[in-house]
Amino acid sequence: MGGITGIDVGGTFTDLFYSSDGVTVDRVLKVPSTPDDPSRGLIDALDAAGIDVNALDVILHGTTIATNAVIERHGARAALITTEGFRDVLELGRRDRQRMYGLTGTADPLIPRRMRWEVRERMDHLGNVLTPLDETALAGLAAALAAEGVETVVISFLHSYANPAHERRAREIVQAAHDGWEVVISSDVVREYYEFERTSTAVVQGYLQPLVARYARNLSAKLAAKGFARQTLVMQSNGGLVPLSQLGGRAANIVRSGPAAGVMAAAQIAGEAGFASIITGDMGGTSYDVAVVVNGTPKIAAETALDFRVPLRIPMIDVHTIGAGGGSIASLDRGGVLQVGPRSAGAVPGPVCFGRGGTEPTVTDANAVLGRINADHPIGLRHLDRLDLPAARAAIEALGARLGLGIEETAEAILTVVNHIMARRTRLMTVEQGHDPRDFALVVFGGAGPLHGAAIMRDVGIRTMLLPPHPGVLCAIGCAVGDLRYDLTQTVEKPVADLDAGQIHAILAEQRDRGLAQVVASGAAVDRTEVRHAASMSYTGQIHALRVDIDADWSPERMVGAFEAAYAREYGNTLPGASVGIVGLLTTVIGARTKPARIAPPLPAPVRATPRGHRQVWFSGGWHATAIYDRGDLTAGMVFQGPAIIEQADTTSVLEPGMTARVDAFLNILAEMA
Amino acid sequence: MDGAKGQGIDPVTLAVVRGALEQIGDEMDLHLIRAALSPIISETNDCAHGLYDPVTGETIAQGGLGLPMFLANMQFTVQAMIPMVAAAGGFRPGDVWITNDPYLSGTHLNDVVLISPHFVDGKLFCLFANTGHWMDMGGSVPGGWVPTAREIHQEGIIIPPMKLVDQGQRNEGVVSLITANVRLPEQLLGDLAAMINVFALGRRGLDALIARYGTQTLRACIDEMMARSEAEMRAYIADIPDGTYVLEDGFDNDGVVDAPLKVRLAISIAGSDLHFDFTGTDGPAVGPMNISAGTTKSLCFVALKHVFPDVPVNGGAFRPARFTIPEGSILAARYPVAVGGTTDVTQRVVDCVFGALAQAAPQAAPAAPFGTTGVATVSGRHPVTGRYFVAVYPYPGGYGGSYATDGLVNGTPPGSMAKFMSVEMSEHRYPVRFDYLKIRENSSGPGQHRGGCGTAYGIRTLSGAVVSILGDRVDTPPFGIEGGGPAAPNHVAFHTAGKDWIPPMRSKAEKVPFSNGDAFFLASPGGGGFGHPFNRDAQAVEDDLNDGLITQDTAETVYGAIIASRREVFGRLVFAIDAERTRANRTVLTSA
Repeated sequence: MGGITGIDVGGTFTDLFYSSDGVTVDRVLKVPSTPDDPSRGLIDALDAAGIDVNALDVILHGTTIATNAVIERHGARAALITTEGFRDVLELGRRDRQRMYGLTGTADPLIPRRMRWEVRERMDHLGNVLTPLDETALAGLAAALAAEGVETVVISFLHSYANPAHERRAREIVQAAHDGWEVVISSDVVREYYEFERTSTAVVQGYLQPLVARYARNLSAKLAAKGFARQTLVMQSNGGLVPLSQLGGRAANIVRSGPAAGVMAAAQIAGEAGFASIITGDMGGTSYDVAVVVNGTPKIAAETALDFRVPLRIPMIDVHTIGAGGGSIASLDRGGVLQVGPRSAGAVPGPVCFGRGGTEPTVTDANAVLGRINADHPIGLRHLDRLDLPAARAAIEALGARLGLGIEETAEAILTVVNHIMARRTRLMTVEQGHDPRDFALVVFGGAGPLHGAAIMRDVGIRTMLLPPHPGVLCAIGCAVGDLRYDLTQTVEKPVADLDAGQIHAILAEQRDRGLAQVVASGAAVDRTEVRHAASMSYTGQIHALRVDIDADWSPERMVGAFEAAYAREYGNTLPGASVGIVGLLTTVIGARTKPARIAPPLPAPVRATPRGHRQVWFSGGWHATAIYDRGDLTAGMVFQGPAIIEQADTTSVLEPGMTARVDAFLNILAEMA
Repeated sequence: MDGAKGQGIDPVTLAVVRGALEQIGDEMDLHLIRAALSPIISETNDCAHGLYDPVTGETIAQGGLGLPMFLANMQFTVQAMIPMVAAAGGFRPGDVWITNDPYLSGTHLNDVVLISPHFVDGKLFCLFANTGHWMDMGGSVPGGWVPTAREIHQEGIIIPPMKLVDQGQRNEGVVSLITANVRLPEQLLGDLAAMINVFALGRRGLDALIARYGTQTLRACIDEMMARSEAEMRAYIADIPDGTYVLEDGFDNDGVVDAPLKVRLAISIAGSDLHFDFTGTDGPAVGPMNISAGTTKSLCFVALKHVFPDVPVNGGAFRPARFTIPEGSILAARYPVAVGGTTDVTQRVVDCVFGALAQAAPQAAPAAPFGTTGVATVSGRHPVTGRYFVAVYPYPGGYGGSYATDGLVNGTPPGSMAKFMSVEMSEHRYPVRFDYLKIRENSSGPGQHRGGCGTAYGIRTLSGAVVSILGDRVDTPPFGIEGGGPAAPNHVAFHTAGKDWIPPMRSKAEKVPFSNGDAFFLASPGGGGFGHPFNRDAQAVEDDLNDGLITQDTAETVYGAIIASRREVFGRLVFAIDAERTRANRTVLTSA
């Protein structure tokens, strides 16, 4: 086995992880990202790490380019062609507004109305042709568009999930007008009903495809120039990998690449440490991402909103984001109640103590004022040697004066409020899905996560917190643990009583074959393939379906039984006599990569860890002489007690008074309430 | 020291408790939305959950996912119920009370309210309440929107305030009396069970909070939260210049008598006090265009919250306002008038508040949104399954332009968060086919920030069915503010029995018989414009023109644009506007 490297290209930093044998962690580092050409930041990271690409078996990669292109609206110049009468579906959405209160703001569709076109054709909901495709008109339209500088043409017809024939024929006609176009048809991207959501997903795919394909080409060329001839695999939002060569065609599948990688790494690390069910908390500068992993499997969301009226109906790891991060600003609302976030000081001006012109106190300032962050060794900052503590204290003092609190009390109040916001979201995430948060371990990571994990754990009532060895670059590590993964969905929307086992089995078999073909086409080295099936089911009339895992050979009756059991778990009752329907069928095909298993070395007898020193850190109303540990000193079997601060190059971890911690065989820190 | 005037409550506990109470409401909302059978609840969040003071009935906290419409309505319902329950012996643990009496609980018969007490150590601590929209409550038209109803009994059955669950024991006699009188009894049973189950979830959350802080601290926090919300609302009101601001608007007709109905609102600001005076409003309507006084008040708060979205929702935020609503007017309905037009009457209340406030605070209040919920109901027996169906298509429409931005297209009513059903889903469920669903061109109110366009859709039935429509805003379009123009009014058309026709009441039609292939065509209003159209950026006018949102004539005459060139792409014109000449032209037109 040769070396592997995982590289996560984020908006601010590009993180790298390198292992010479696929098992040990030999190098981690952060370099600034290069948004103008993100592939350059990736190469920079490789260079900075001094990695010889010829010694690498595989490069694994996570990226935010797709997310940023959608949020900042700098994707392709695209045209949309729809069924006559429905070109505005993309912009209309389904009657909503940005937020519950406040009527300002508009929709900003990825394809403006002047580039949305219609053609005569119509299917019914069973896939019967009502109006044949007007091929002549379509050819005329395609010819006209060829002169308009379009890069992508997206075709989305009503009911194409039931019968994609018109979309497929339309693609032939449109592609014939211009070789260079990327042509996307909605039934290829989502085989499900809900015209707005399917069209939006196809448009996201088309909007990103040229950009992502270009990125893949640039990166391939740069790696080839360095002599790298093996596989590069990219993390998708569902936690599975896809080869660089297939990336353009799956552009919509990589929008939450980085966060998904973090969850995958956390699941892997926690699983090795003996925790199958975890909550992951990833806190960075502006946001806190929380996800749930049950029995080793991350929870998947069927649909995710990328922006207002930009839904993406692709199975993705269900990562909830709230605006709570190190840069979140503390302020008083008009009623005088302390608020933290969602406003953020961002990277610029940033927290007051970063000395870049920030004037409003942030969570990071509170951590600095309370001694939790080492002001003499700022992480990830090159422009200053020391945090501006006096400025942070002054900003917090001004806020505290309005609350009638002293500086430290105010700083502690800021942390309490932000911790509660994160704890609430963490709790809601599990409760929403019918889980008791106390049955989970908490894995915290990201630059700021380990500073706050102890408080979240205490507030939610979680027993164990796991701090992985490299929390600040966990997403890069996550890229390395993934397998190839393809999700295939198809709408059925029929009562179970109207379906026979043969119809269900035929759909599942067809999905399996298509998935397996994609694994083969990827050309990636795969150990074995795995096929999983699920059905989304509901009582007739319900809008919200439940996902039920099924086997390919199950009878419809058995599926109903599994649905009712799941329903009872979720809602506490079933509805006897109500008819049950299958909304859709889902097949996941996984190509498992060859990965050497990490064997836990025997755990030495417990020995007390030795701190590098002590400093005063504020906890619950007073200063405490607190042990400061260097993460590099902490070896397997060591134990220590809170209060404690653990410092390392990529983050700082906090252990509260009354907590105990031990270092496991994989060098994770496991913290518990005493 | 503006943050520390509480009675010794530490600011951290206060912030945490407020968040935790709101979360209980959120979790209850979420649970019902996911468990409900009624698509109106599950798809359109037509529900609400809250915690209320057991003595004053004031809102302690409310879920953030339910409909704005119920913002204050729930509080008024709880306040009305408290003395009734007291007279009947008071709340006991495990009780659930029910009502849908719209004169008491507001909105319409389909909105059913449940109230359940929460006891701590044998003492009543607070009340939980929820509202859920049930698909059908009987009455002469499926779904409950009866455009020609003259009295409440044509709209469905009234459930007077009564104990539905007595110390954990559900009164099955009451339940069967209800289910026997509605069209979709199975669905109703599912929704009822879900609504009752949600209380257990709320109790668990509140008990956990009580275990942590104790009832005394919690009580003190609640009082303080209300005081803070009141202070916050007062701070915003005090920013509005003192004075009286009057707006008159109205309705096309009431669906029975074809005469306009006037709504008159005078908002008076004096310091941090606000007075809503609806004196001069017509009524009662003979048809269903009436709402209860509680609903009127609630929608005034909804409008205020849209203008000042940051104020936390609890009873304190409602304290600075006073109301004068003439008894028996269309905005203070009394038994037995029909109230099914609530979906439109509530919209006009919001329009009036925006219009009056815009005179004093144009930077905060937007121009009028589309102003009609125009509910189209299609019902009948499905030709394949033989089962009875009720499909409901409420209008989307444009929002008004504002100081900040253009208006949104395809918005949901300000009092709602309800979505429009997917076309493909509709065609799966019901024997209908959409001809089109599109932006209604040239329908936005012109302005520096124009209104959002209306939405147009045409639906054909594939079997025999009956179609009812209950809307408004045909005769009086949504208004603009600060020199912005009005939007296009509502338009309703039918094609049945081979003929195209417009309903005599223009915006309302009841139980029109449809055969296979018959169709109706709706075009909802846009939103009014903000600011004079001549102040609109020339590039924005060019984009609107090339997007087909306005015509060349509108660009030239209303926006004063000078077109530099035009070309054609596959039958569509692409224009370029000359910004320089447009500026000059506008100057000439303004001084002329």
